[in-house]
Amino acid sequence: MPNIRYAYMNHWKNIPYQKIPNFRDFYYQDKSNTAYYSDWDNLLKYQKALGFDGIEVAPWDLADIIPLFGSADAFRQFAAERGVEITGMFHGAHASHDKSKFEEVVKAGKDAVDTIVGFGGTQMNTCPTDNYCGIGPLSREEVAQCAHVMNEIGRYATDHGVKLGLHNEFFCGINLAEHREFIELTDPRFVHYCIDTAQIAIMGEDLLDFYDTYAERISGFHLKDTADPQQPDNVRFSRDPEIQDDGKRWFWELGKGVLDFPALYELLKKHQYKGWITLETDGSPDYLASMAMCRYYINDKLNPIYR
Amino acid sequence: MSTQHFAISLDMINRHYSEPNRNRYESKYYWEELYTLIAAAGFDSIEIPFEPVWQFGGRSGVPMTQYSLNTKYGNTEQYRKLLADSGINRVSAVSFNANLFVRNDQLGFYFGASGHFGSQAIAFASELGADTLVLSPTAYAGRLRHYHPHLQVDDKQFIEQTKALIEQLSETAAKTGITLALRPEYWSMISIPVLLELVHQCPANVKLAVNTAHLQLAELDSVAFIQANAKAISYVQLADTPLTTSQSFSQSASPEFPSQQATQVFADVGTGSVPLTDVIKTLTDQDYSGDICLCNHQTRDPMRALLRDKRFVNQLVSQAKGV
Repeated sequence: MPNIRYAYMNHWKNIPYQKIPNFRDFYYQDKSNTAYYSDWDNLLKYQKALGFDGIEVAPWDLADIIPLFGSADAFRQFAAERGVEITGMFHGAHASHDKSKFEEVVKAGKDAVDTIVGFGGTQMNTCPTDNYCGIGPLSREEVAQCAHVMNEIGRYATDHGVKLGLHNEFFCGINLAEHREFIELTDPRFVHYCIDTAQIAIMGEDLLDFYDTYAERISGFHLKDTADPQQPDNVRFSRDPEIQDDGKRWFWELGKGVLDFPALYELLKKHQYKGWITLETDGSPDYLASMAMCRYYINDKLNPIYR
Repeated sequence: MSTQHFAISLDMINRHYSEPNRNRYESKYYWEELYTLIAAAGFDSIEIPFEPVWQFGGRSGVPMTQYSLNTKYGNTEQYRKLLADSGINRVSAVSFNANLFVRNDQLGFYFGASGHFGSQAIAFASELGADTLVLSPTAYAGRLRHYHPHLQVDDKQFIEQTKALIEQLSETAAKTGITLALRPEYWSMISIPVLLELVHQCPANVKLAVNTAHLQLAELDSVAFIQANAKAISYVQLADTPLTTSQSFSQSASPEFPSQQATQVFADVGTGSVPLTDVIKTLTDQDYSGDICLCNHQTRDPMRALLRDKRFVNQLVSQAKGV
């Protein structure tokens, strides 16, 4: 049994079909690749074939997945029949810094935990609050309020078999200046951390030092590369910076950016990390090609270090 | 007849479903080139869907909310200047549907969000100088019934609530001179005959928007429908489909994607079986003077669709000249 199991973060957008029963006919309608990217049956098989045995869903997937399959459990079963587990779901704890919205934010978090339990998942990777632009800089009280909310949701998650992993984006209201202070304010019994390798590097964290420091708190990874670590405040604090106007990409396939993944895997070995690592391919024009490129890199460069 | 009579719906760009290269549609640069290509194909008007989803989550590159325009251009005036500089002189209409708000068992949430964001859609249309909000009367019936299994098509209480919503929106629309054009749809919770009655009961600024593909999928003859309802029609979406019925999938949760037999329900203009030339002739015979928008929903290739639109218009021009 390997120490690391690999999952894929669902970035496919809405998938309209469970399974295409008339694949050849559908192909011939327009002779394009539409048939190849329109059903869960094939997309799950693609990732399974490439060694990604789990899938993390996102809240914005639910409006289509649930009616398409009838229930979260039906989707879980469908994926399981193809050898894929639902690892968990991303969650955005919007407005958690705002004391007046405490009840609302905690309820949304608990609802998300319930949804994850319905999918059979065990991870809730949670962006601590809204984007920096519009709310930043947060006061120390507001940072503490975010931590308080995370502790409350995390306690409920723990009671239901789900690990809440903080997931910081480079443009989040919790940003470089308060990132570690915020983590220290959360309760390690209930609140863990999911390292998005590219996001925290762009934010300005030293990926290797961060993992080495917080190894005991780490519940998962979102694995992706970047060519642009340590972006300045005016980029991170700008409005809606994740999707750039000129098509510039923040995120790249493993080995196509500048992050030192072999060194990270040496640290995983040092700390004997055990659990899911979730590949992300957001920003790619071709998720399947990106998934295959990353699988080759994992097999070739990372597995020899630690697996 | 020239191409200047026709608008192009930005709905031809796939914002929501999986396909390679889809994510470029979320960046501003894609749309700014698209406007120039629409103009290059000979069209100078566009229809814009209003989609609240683009004001959440930082995806404001998609120009389908006021938030997006304010974020990327400062204000609507600057956006309209960009359009004009790109050869797009007019927004013919804004379209809006409430499918996004069918996500729980609270009908109050569905109607409340529809009213809130419907009002935003009207303001968006007004800001863009459009005369019309093309409104889907209800969300997908199948999706509503997933969360509300007791609901049936033409449920009286649901119709009353929908009517109240439409009247509320029509009041808002009247303040800025916007016409609400209700679109008969094959997937609706309100059948088309009942919708026609409802339109006649509504205030004067509530009209009909005809989408020719929807009519054919509802097993209606577009030409006969236009002849029978000409006075109520204020907007036309010229859309095509190869299908002549939707009976097996119209009530499903995803009625644009038939689950038993995967197929492209909506075809590029001129590539399906809707008698579009006859529709144009009928509109002319009825002295229709409103906008006509070419719709290529679900196209596999927007640039090819644009040229197919141009080919269709060229054929109309040739026929008019007797060539």
